Amino acid sequence: MPHLDLLKAAAESNHWMAILPELLLGSLALFLLVLELVLPKKQHDVIPAVAIIGQIGILLGLLLRLYPSFNGQYTFSGLLHHTSNGEFMRAFFLLSSTFVCVLGTIALAKQKMPRIEFFNIVLVVSAAMMLLAQSNNFILLFVALETVTVGFYILVSYFRTNPRSLEAGLKYLITGALSSGLLLFGIVLLYGVAGNPTLPGSTANSMDFTALHTFLAANPNNFLAAIGIVLVLSGVAFKIGAVPFQIWIPDVYQGAPTPVTAFLAVASKAAGFSILLILMGVFAPYNHLTVTVLSLMAMATILFGNLAALTQHNVKRLIGLSGVSHAGYLLIGVIAASVLPSNLAGQAVGAIYFYLFAYLLASFAVFGVMTHVAGGDDADQELEHYSELAKTHPFLGAVLAIGLGSLAGIPPLAGFMGKLLIFVAAFKAGLYTLLVVAIIGVVISIYYYFGWIKAAFFETWRAPLLEGETDPRPVRTPVGLAAGVMLASLAVATVVLGFYQGSLGVWLLNR
Amino acid sequence: MTVGLNHYLLLSAVLFAIGFFGVLLRKNTLVIYMCLELMLVASTVALVAFSRYNNTMDGNVFVFFILTVAAAEVAVGLAIIVALFRRRQSIDVAELNALKN
Repeated sequence: MPHLDLLKAAAESNHWMAILPELLLGSLALFLLVLELVLPKKQHDVIPAVAIIGQIGILLGLLLRLYPSFNGQYTFSGLLHHTSNGEFMRAFFLLSSTFVCVLGTIALAKQKMPRIEFFNIVLVVSAAMMLLAQSNNFILLFVALETVTVGFYILVSYFRTNPRSLEAGLKYLITGALSSGLLLFGIVLLYGVAGNPTLPGSTANSMDFTALHTFLAANPNNFLAAIGIVLVLSGVAFKIGAVPFQIWIPDVYQGAPTPVTAFLAVASKAAGFSILLILMGVFAPYNHLTVTVLSLMAMATILFGNLAALTQHNVKRLIGLSGVSHAGYLLIGVIAASVLPSNLAGQAVGAIYFYLFAYLLASFAVFGVMTHVAGGDDADQELEHYSELAKTHPFLGAVLAIGLGSLAGIPPLAGFMGKLLIFVAAFKAGLYTLLVVAIIGVVISIYYYFGWIKAAFFETWRAPLLEGETDPRPVRTPVGLAAGVMLASLAVATVVLGFYQGSLGVWLLNR
Repeated sequence: MTVGLNHYLLLSAVLFAIGFFGVLLRKNTLVIYMCLELMLVASTVALVAFSRYNNTMDGNVFVFFILTVAAAEVAVGLAIIVALFRRRQSIDVAELNALKN
């Protein structure tokens, strides 16, 4: 019975313990729904706490290395490849989904909405992202990516009584499905070409990244494969919001609930970069093509993001467009990593991960303040709403200043170190044109980031309220305990990481 | 005339192009949605053809995953469209302009 032997051999590589964190996260998501059924309505407030504490538990397990290690191995018949980069991204996604849950409790308290589904979907999306960062096969990559995207469609339009949230959801749906279509067609072309028995190096397992890499190395000038690569990269560029696939960003970021905007800005972008790094390794034989495409994209992304952010008054659109420019800086890191020889490329990859981590800390600090300042209409958050924030809430003002300063790359904050490491890698790779564009971008970005800080710190003249007119600024409430602890630790971490990178820096940069 | 791999690929490319330009040019949300599905179906046609001519099963299996994903997307997408129609009494994309600076 040869078939049985085949099946047995395939099943032997199914190490379920290798995806224990993802399984735990998925079970936690289901457990939340069970709790909603079982508990009486009055006690539903404990469910978000269960979600947050559960995630912190899973995260601690990852950080303390309590799960069995499969580092360097391929499991599930080569569907997954466990690497230390994958481990880092797992912790990254868990951390961001934990923060999103904390922000979610604040934002949902201002709305009359069913709550538990929000946390459930956030956990499922986070688990899918963790799988995505370890994928080694196009089928798994596509299915995990679609789990993330479909989850985000729901999350973006979560405030379903607000037409602007629904409109953002529909726009994300159309552009997201379009990019999935492009990605899928690219995958199909690569699958078809790599499986063609008449070409050298053809493979029967052409969805697999390792086999595909071997095939591409044997056929460095195949036209159909080149089209496939460009289509796949377009699909990924949509996720990271690189020009010309950034059109959805301002509208979707504005309409989505603020915690979801944070999730999109940090985790979805990081997921895009983690698969971009994997795919650039697979597509390495086509570097002459991919590096050109990505360089043009990076330049356009940095300039467009910064220039478009200059004119924004809505802070959600502003942070979205500034996030576009951050994607541009990270793209420079990706290009450096694929151009540099392999002994130096590790440092460039480490710089990208450090930048992403600094970006996570700073972004969640800013989004935390935004969630707190927001009023009943979540899409309506203007710069004017921040006037006198430092006077009424000095704590929030300080956190906002540290977060925005780190995003702008002001020394000695963590964001400065991230930019420095990326620029050093780009300099070593000889990408001088890109460096000049990036530095121009950083200079422009200081203007709008400091415009926001100015709105919060310095008094501006405001027209006295007429009779019957109400203050347009939302009512400000005191900061709760969980949110306060989260914001304070994010701000402290941003400052400390700028001075002292500790074992994280050693691990990321000495490879 | 026998129908070969190239004919299937041509059909798939034409379907994909119809879907892609339909998404970009049409104004009715439901038609746009049909065009998005058409793009997925175009990929499926090419996938099955490649799978048949390359003699590998991966493509056929992948089709089931794509169908499942498309079904999930439709379920969520139509729900959003219906909810939006209830609020705005319109599904024309030209009238979706509440989000601006």
